Amino acid sequence: MAQFQYLMVLGFIGSCAVLVNFGFKLSISSKWKLFLMTDAVILTLYLAWDFWAVSKASWFFDQEQTLGIYVFSRLPIEEILFFILVPLMVVLTYLALIKLSKPSNTAKY
Amino acid sequence: MIYADVALNAVVVAILLDLYLLRSQMMTRKIFWKTYFLILPFQLLTNWWLTSNNIVMYSESEIIGTRVAGAPLEDLLFGFSMILLTLSCWEFFAKRLTPDKVIK
Repeated sequence: MAQFQYLMVLGFIGSCAVLVNFGFKLSISSKWKLFLMTDAVILTLYLAWDFWAVSKASWFFDQEQTLGIYVFSRLPIEEILFFILVPLMVVLTYLALIKLSKPSNTAKY
Repeated sequence: MIYADVALNAVVVAILLDLYLLRSQMMTRKIFWKTYFLILPFQLLTNWWLTSNNIVMYSESEIIGTRVAGAPLEDLLFGFSMILLTLSCWEFFAKRLTPDKVIK
């Protein structure tokens, strides 16, 4: 089970995303295009950073606690999921707070 | 360049992009700071989870050595830059996809 350790952290973030999305009726799926464009920027910049940092061993991942599937020959697949799920959670938090601050205005966002 | 240098640069770049290139100017909006400070404890939680179990490890020579919730202090800069850039891009693309629905 050790190889699922990192995946469990991602599962936690993903569960929060699902709860916030449905709890606040944010229907993020209708904004998939917007999210895709946003995340394309984040994925490009932060995976490049990650790749460079892992190459010079600034940080590294426990092989026992990751699935063992690598992207660009050195980044655990979990890292790619991380840079999708975290920006998603950031956007959902932002949209939920907008909704909370404007309870009567549900048409926008 | 160690992690601290890159992380500091990332924050500066994210701020410059937000204020002058993307012009979303999230930095000047209260909702951004609310979002940031709501996410921060969750970042600390996942940082602690990832580092206390040694899922992610750092070379001591690459960090300044101060740790917050198990993770290098630098991680807070990394996190801030990513949260800022994510929301700044979101607003930038939102303006262009749905110009009539922009919230100011």
